[in-house]
Amino acid sequence: MKILLVEDEPVLLDEIATYFKSHHFTCEHATTFKHAEQKLTDYLYDIVVLDITLPDGNGIELIEKIKQKHLETGILMLSAKHSLQDKLNGFNLGADDYLTKPFYLEELNARVNAIYRRKALKGAEKITFDGITIEPLSKSITFQNQEIGLTRKECELLIYFVINKDRVVSRTSIVEHLWGDHFDQNDSFDTIYVHMMNLRKKLLKTSGKDYIKTVYGIGYKFTF
Amino acid sequence: MRLLSKISYYHFGLSVVVLGVTGFIMFLSLRAEISKEIEEQLELQAAMVAEELQIGKNVSFPLVQITKGNSNLMKLPKVFTDTLIYDKLQNAHEGYYYFKESKLINGNYYRIRVMTTYIGWGSYSRTISYIFLGIAALLTLLGTLINYLISRGIWRPLLVNLRRMKDYSVSSDDGLQLISTDVKEFKEMNAVMVDLAERGKKEYMALKQFTENASHEIQTPLSILKTRLESISQLPLEPNVVHLLGDAKTAVTRLSKVSTGLLLLAKLENDTFVDKKWLALDEVVRRNLELQEDLFEYKQLNITLNLSPKQVFASTSLMDILISNLLANMLNNTNDGANVAITLDHEKIVFSNTGIPLSFPESKLFTRFTKGAGANTHRNGLGLSIVKQICSNNNWKISYNYKDELHIFEIEF
Repeated sequence: MKILLVEDEPVLLDEIATYFKSHHFTCEHATTFKHAEQKLTDYLYDIVVLDITLPDGNGIELIEKIKQKHLETGILMLSAKHSLQDKLNGFNLGADDYLTKPFYLEELNARVNAIYRRKALKGAEKITFDGITIEPLSKSITFQNQEIGLTRKECELLIYFVINKDRVVSRTSIVEHLWGDHFDQNDSFDTIYVHMMNLRKKLLKTSGKDYIKTVYGIGYKFTF
Repeated sequence: MRLLSKISYYHFGLSVVVLGVTGFIMFLSLRAEISKEIEEQLELQAAMVAEELQIGKNVSFPLVQITKGNSNLMKLPKVFTDTLIYDKLQNAHEGYYYFKESKLINGNYYRIRVMTTYIGWGSYSRTISYIFLGIAALLTLLGTLINYLISRGIWRPLLVNLRRMKDYSVSSDDGLQLISTDVKEFKEMNAVMVDLAERGKKEYMALKQFTENASHEIQTPLSILKTRLESISQLPLEPNVVHLLGDAKTAVTRLSKVSTGLLLLAKLENDTFVDKKWLALDEVVRRNLELQEDLFEYKQLNITLNLSPKQVFASTSLMDILISNLLANMLNNTNDGANVAITLDHEKIVFSNTGIPLSFPESKLFTRFTKGAGANTHRNGLGLSIVKQICSNNNWKISYNYKDELHIFEIEF
């Protein structure tokens, strides 16, 4: 997957690029509107992660250019502004998703992957690991053609983990992914614990492996 | 008390005092005048009786008494006074004036007494009092009527402007528009009010701008903090460092929630939500409830749903925020196993849950950063302010009640 990151904040850019590269994405970056415009003229990308507040222009104006060049390019807007108008304008011009700062890298990764599956792979992509197959659209999960009965939340949780494999995912990141950010964390932490236990049990029962490790005081890590 | 009533009361009081005093004076002077007239009349009558006697006529009249006597009679004074005489027809004692005088007529000494009927001063004063009270009442009544008529002209601008000031909000887009008047005092007040409203609005805009800018500027540094802390989480860490890191992450999460909440409030006050359309509120409730179903299940809450179809013209994103905030509020403030209910009909939506009474005044419920005594510090205290603001954006009325151990939030459309 070839990604262009348009972001003017160097630390954030570095963090995103490092994480994406660890997932073997081809990652390029631009820190200004002009620079991004140049890159978009010269190359084709699968996904553009676009910060809309750039020092020399409004990122929203780049959306049209991206679409003119290659209609299939997925676009994820980043914004610190929480502006509904920007969001609507972006979607009308053809953006695929919108994420507000501050965000978790795992969330960004999950969304970029979702766009990629939807756009480049036309939703046909299955996520497979270690003999387990997930079909994100139908939320069906099978191990060696045998259905693993997961609840919807367990399924969402599993996809989140698989997409962010080998990374310690904090509990808050999971809470926000599953329920949004309105909830009392203590209650949701307990609920996550329950989901986690069930998911581990079900996976253990079918594949005989425990993929999820608890990282003390921080969160969970999925490896296979 | 209304100004008009107050003026009328004073007016009536003043009329009663003035009319009472003048009435009393009039009564006294009238009585003095009439007594004098009667004395003159009786004196003349006595003189006429004396004339009759002089020409040798025998005077015989019921109310005239003539006594013959010696020269000692001349020493008696003239007397003018009143007395009571029994009235056979009325069967009552009636008051009479009488006048006594001694006269020397044709060498004989006479004492002549003449009488005339006494006018009842009691009924006189009563009649006068009634008339004057009538005048007082009439004055007050007409005064009030005139005041009322005047007030429609003079006071109307004040009353209209008062209503406009009452409805005025610094957060509204329109300035304070007052209708003009030709009364100097009112003119001055209008000018002061418009100026005050203008200044209030300016301050408010500046404050809002500041909140928005501050929240906005905080997001990027927060993103850096958040991602860097997550990166540190990937490293092998000592248990004590994990603890420190955990606290730092919690604080960052709180800060980001507060700034996001404040930003949302600032935007709500600007009313910049453009995605308004007709949407089914019952669907919104179901969708949000489904999303949080597992959280409700985990707390073993008994949910009673009673949703009728209801269309509202509102922003989709705001309705999601409204409903999820109210659900979160229910979820966060109930004990395990409590009863919660959501009822939606054509007029209103009601969220209720069992729980202990509020630990702070009810008036603070919808204000920013209010948290209960035992509340978890993870909460940012903005959820209900956002709910209230969304309601007022849609011109809906939200109210809170605590009854029979139930916290009840009701939104009237």
